[in-house]
Amino acid sequence: MNASSASAAAPTAVIADDERLMRVQIVARLKEAWPELEIVGEASNGLEAVAMVRSLEPDIVFLDISMPEMDGIQAAKALAGQVHVVFVTAYDQHAVTAFEQGAVDYLLKPAEPERVALTCQRLRERMQRKPDPMEDILEKLSQRLGAGGGGGAIGPREYMRWVQASVGANIRMIPTSDILFFRAEDKYTRVQTTTFEALIRKPIKDLLDELDPGEFWQIHRSTVVRIDAVEQVSRNFAGKQVVHVKGSGEKLEVSRTFNHLFKQM
Amino acid sequence: MTTDPSAPNSPDPAPGSMGIRQALREIRKGAIVVWWAFFDWVAVVQWKALFLVSVLGMVIGGGIFKVATLTFLLIVAAFIIKIVAGGKRRAELTASEATQRAETEQLERAVMEARMQALQAQIEPHFLFNTLASIDQLILSDPPRASKMQQSLIRYLRSAMPQMREGGRPTLGQQVDLSSAFLEIMAVRMEERLQPVMHVPEGLKSAIFPSMMLQTLVENAIKHGLEPQAAGGRLEIRAEVVDGQLAVHVIDTGRGFAPKADGGVGLANIRERLRTLYNGRAELIISVPTEGGTCATIKVPYEIAPAASAT
Repeated sequence: MNASSASAAAPTAVIADDERLMRVQIVARLKEAWPELEIVGEASNGLEAVAMVRSLEPDIVFLDISMPEMDGIQAAKALAGQVHVVFVTAYDQHAVTAFEQGAVDYLLKPAEPERVALTCQRLRERMQRKPDPMEDILEKLSQRLGAGGGGGAIGPREYMRWVQASVGANIRMIPTSDILFFRAEDKYTRVQTTTFEALIRKPIKDLLDELDPGEFWQIHRSTVVRIDAVEQVSRNFAGKQVVHVKGSGEKLEVSRTFNHLFKQM
Repeated sequence: MTTDPSAPNSPDPAPGSMGIRQALREIRKGAIVVWWAFFDWVAVVQWKALFLVSVLGMVIGGGIFKVATLTFLLIVAAFIIKIVAGGKRRAELTASEATQRAETEQLERAVMEARMQALQAQIEPHFLFNTLASIDQLILSDPPRASKMQQSLIRYLRSAMPQMREGGRPTLGQQVDLSSAFLEIMAVRMEERLQPVMHVPEGLKSAIFPSMMLQTLVENAIKHGLEPQAAGGRLEIRAEVVDGQLAVHVIDTGRGFAPKADGGVGLANIRERLRTLYNGRAELIISVPTEGGTCATIKVPYEIAPAASAT
């Protein structure tokens, strides 16, 4: 305490990792490599790390990449230009490649003392300058790690893959690949699979916004069918197109608006 | 059901008569093949067709080639064969066809299952490296605990590596052991953020349960349910027999299932494997418990492993 208040220039750092053992380890290694560095805070998730850096204003933050609530990449984005960042990871091949290309500093867990010493050396040099916001590389990283990193990543449009529906007393998650068709019935929408049916409150109109148009087709104002479940299309006595669904005896009428979907090639 | 009439004919053929004898044997063989082809055809042909062919035969044989008696005899023979042997022969043929089809299907299924198991069995490098990093730290701060954790890791690797898995059909006991080793490791790493609970009755441990499926559900529960949640939560493995089906549940109090999550390769893989292994008699159900989180259930027919492989 005395030492830090004596010299205002004593470097400070915040450590963020969701596993306590890993925080203990990095703190210990930093103490060996850079005794003057003062660890002013330890965070166990990304959100906490961001809040802690903003309130304590350390010079450096060590960010684990995979953390709950907000991952290390997102946290770094939120703190761009405010602090020097060192990423920490046990295994993120994508990230490591990107770090190397973008000259971003990182540590691999378990951190080897020599490697920590090198990082500290670089940090002392980096601290002569203003923190680099690293915009390009962070953008690239959050795209690449999107699926695994969780939270707020920008990716291609995501469609509904599961339908949450009541089946008896339970709420079940039905994979869209199990669904034969959706059909509007009174206030509800019926979800039909080969083995059971379920009712959901979401109207067809809203479902259409969320379903993958490459997987489901609307064939009637009140009917949406999974294309792979269509066995054949015939005409009924009134000359209307009728869709026969695999694994279901039900025949679904195609309204005139959607006739073009089943035109002969 | 092809006949093999390679009868032990002449004992030691003289060199001179070789050609004739061989020719005769060939003719005999040919005749037998033709006869059985005729027999099979008669056995499976529809009565109406047989009748029509008979009439046609009478007209052609009797009217045009003037061999009415021979044709008539042949037709009578055909009808007798049809009446006497038709049903049996037809059943035999369909049976052999079905066996053949079943064998191909089974083979295809086995190949598919092997391929999928290989896919399923990948050990997460993320898990491995993080665990090794934790052990590295514990060696300094708490050596006895480090040793325990390393033993859990060895136990996990032993059962998770495909080439190290024991032969025979996997039991629920083996699968639970594998997942408890994994959970012991994760509990050291996540500390109070992970509370594992086991409710697997001893008596169910010898039941047959496909490999690595429970582990996939446990990994999913941690990765998508508990790890993304700052407070963590409870993870329960529960097994029970309901209506002759073995139901294994993995329940977590985590973040819950996102409808847009693609469900990962893991769940799709389980579904596909259940289909190939059990042909519609098994299922994977994802549901949402009333208190939140996720419940994943695998139901398979309840079968006890033979005593020898249960140990």
